[in-house]
Amino acid sequence: MADITLPRATEQSVAKTRRSLGPRQLKRALLHVILATIAIAWMIPLVSAIYTSVRTFADGTANGPWSFPPHSFTLQNFVDAWTDGGFSGYFLNTFLVVIPAVILMLLLSSMTAFVLSRYRFRGSRLLLMLFIAGLLLPFQVLLIPVYRLSNFLNIYDTLGSLVAIHVAFELGFCTFVLHNFMRTIPKDLTDAAAVDGASVFRIWWQVVLPLCRPALAALATLEFTWKWNDYLWVITLIQSTNNATVTLGLSGLRGEFVTNWNLITAASLLAAVPTVIVYLVLQRQFLGGLFVGSNK
Amino acid sequence: MADVRFQHVYKRYGENAPVITDLNLEIEDHEFLVLVGPSGCGKSTALRMIAGLEDISEGELFIGERIVNDVAPKDRDIAMVFQNYALYPHMTVFDNMAFALKLRHTPAEEVGQRVERAAQMLGITPYLKRKPRELSGGQRQRVALGRALVRDPQVFLLDEPLSNLDAKLRVQTRAEISRLHQATGTTFVYVTHDQVEAMTMGDRIAVLNAGLIQQLGTPQDLYDNPSNLFVAGFIGSPSMDFFEVKLHRKGDGHAEIIIGQGDEQQRLTLTGHAADVATGQAPGAGDTSDGRPLIVGIRPEDFTLNGASGGDGQTISGVVDVVEHLGNEQLVYVRLPGAYVPEAAETKGSTARLGPSEKVSPGDRISLHVDTSRLHFFDPSTTKSLV
Repeated sequence: MADITLPRATEQSVAKTRRSLGPRQLKRALLHVILATIAIAWMIPLVSAIYTSVRTFADGTANGPWSFPPHSFTLQNFVDAWTDGGFSGYFLNTFLVVIPAVILMLLLSSMTAFVLSRYRFRGSRLLLMLFIAGLLLPFQVLLIPVYRLSNFLNIYDTLGSLVAIHVAFELGFCTFVLHNFMRTIPKDLTDAAAVDGASVFRIWWQVVLPLCRPALAALATLEFTWKWNDYLWVITLIQSTNNATVTLGLSGLRGEFVTNWNLITAASLLAAVPTVIVYLVLQRQFLGGLFVGSNK
Repeated sequence: MADVRFQHVYKRYGENAPVITDLNLEIEDHEFLVLVGPSGCGKSTALRMIAGLEDISEGELFIGERIVNDVAPKDRDIAMVFQNYALYPHMTVFDNMAFALKLRHTPAEEVGQRVERAAQMLGITPYLKRKPRELSGGQRQRVALGRALVRDPQVFLLDEPLSNLDAKLRVQTRAEISRLHQATGTTFVYVTHDQVEAMTMGDRIAVLNAGLIQQLGTPQDLYDNPSNLFVAGFIGSPSMDFFEVKLHRKGDGHAEIIIGQGDEQQRLTLTGHAADVATGQAPGAGDTSDGRPLIVGIRPEDFTLNGASGGDGQTISGVVDVVEHLGNEQLVYVRLPGAYVPEAAETKGSTARLGPSEKVSPGDRISLHVDTSRLHFFDPSTTKSLV
């Protein structure tokens, strides 16, 4: 009997769904149109940048930036940006700043977060508050003091000054995120390690840090992107072309009277490559990690 | 291997009342000591003090001849099994077990041998390359035991290690831990809230309540001679039955107790040791004057079903509430007059442990013969045992 009633019931329910499909389908179509429009709007700058970067300067000035089909195709702009534009040097400088900065800020903030999340001592809460309060400070107010401090310390116009300010500035944020994440690690685990004979340093290094991998990966991705794209601290602390990073290099490509947009877009695209690679490599961790520490 | 001694130890958190009050306890070398008590009694805190995971507010703690109040956990040479196992999730079973040895710079070859040996003892050799998340609860438990076992520590601490296992596995692991104790000969300190675990495993048991040791003794001693109402109610399953009674001294020198009031009143004539206590012939009985209120405790197995309706002064009658058949025995819950329920008792009301062949159904009025020589007496105001 069940065999007979079952298909009938299914048919009925299918018919019911079909009838209600009309308005729902319309809604869906509308949604797709809106989403597609937004996506296209997002893509326009990127596509136009790519389009511009593969045309010659002469083609652009003669036929206008949007002429289609293009009258030229060249990869010379990328070559020029890398060699004549000095981007090979800017890339190296930026890596020399960003990689040590990210590693240092994660190491230091994970130490701070570990101690603040695991050990109760006089003033521990105040210390955490201090780190969090630092997040609320608008960095613009620090520009001039930091500039003067770098002069005072004789580190103005060095890559080291950039590493130092990045690490110092992000310590609060990283500590905050890692502290919240570490609080979710059961206390028994660190207790067990202590009983097993591990020192505080070893508990941090061998037990807590490996368990924080998702949070660390997410923070590393975020911080890499932010620090790679940083412009403000660079123009505050760096003067010479020798020590310029990619963002400073990009701004230097603008001529006083004539600007070679084809070269600039090619350089900009080059500059975006490392962040895209970092994002793609850590994408999974990054998406999962965005919520890291948000729930207690 | 070493003994552990608490000397006037207190534990306070802030300004609150102490969690542990004046703890004096000597755990002997090679001993299996069980700390048992209801949740919040301070037993885990005491254990964590031995481990060095809790500070000692006052007093002294010795491991061997050394005062360890200010010694870091890593320097105490103790191993601990945690309630939630606390295995390192990112390490394999082998690495979990080898962690402590590696920290002590044990040669790799020896680490391998010791882990292998412990794994064999616990039957976890096939899982050495797995991560904890790929193991069942029982297997994780074994790894946690193994991690402590490879250490060959001075003292073994176990914090409710069986509470996350199912009933069958719990019984198996219970026996296994006892075997481990015999095999290693190390001092074991075991914390549990389960008095069955305490009774079956401990050489001695310390019963804790509200941060105070209620009684320290062998399992049999605690069962036969509980020092107060709390221990009497806590040790034994089903719990001892308690009654609020009045002592009545008869003219012929005998004594009886009056259970219940008014129409429900029933009398039991005392015999043997119980009579000596009640008549003041046993030492330390204290006030034995006529009409004195007492609390009487009867173990469920000291009841037997009596066909006769009483009148011999050894019988008490009541109505059956619930009958639980266990195969080899049946637990009969009876509504008896004057029943008293202390806080630690696991069963409410009175229970009799009867043979499996007795025909008893709910609603029946039954007469129970009481072994009146085996009664326990408690002072209602101090809750202390008389003798």
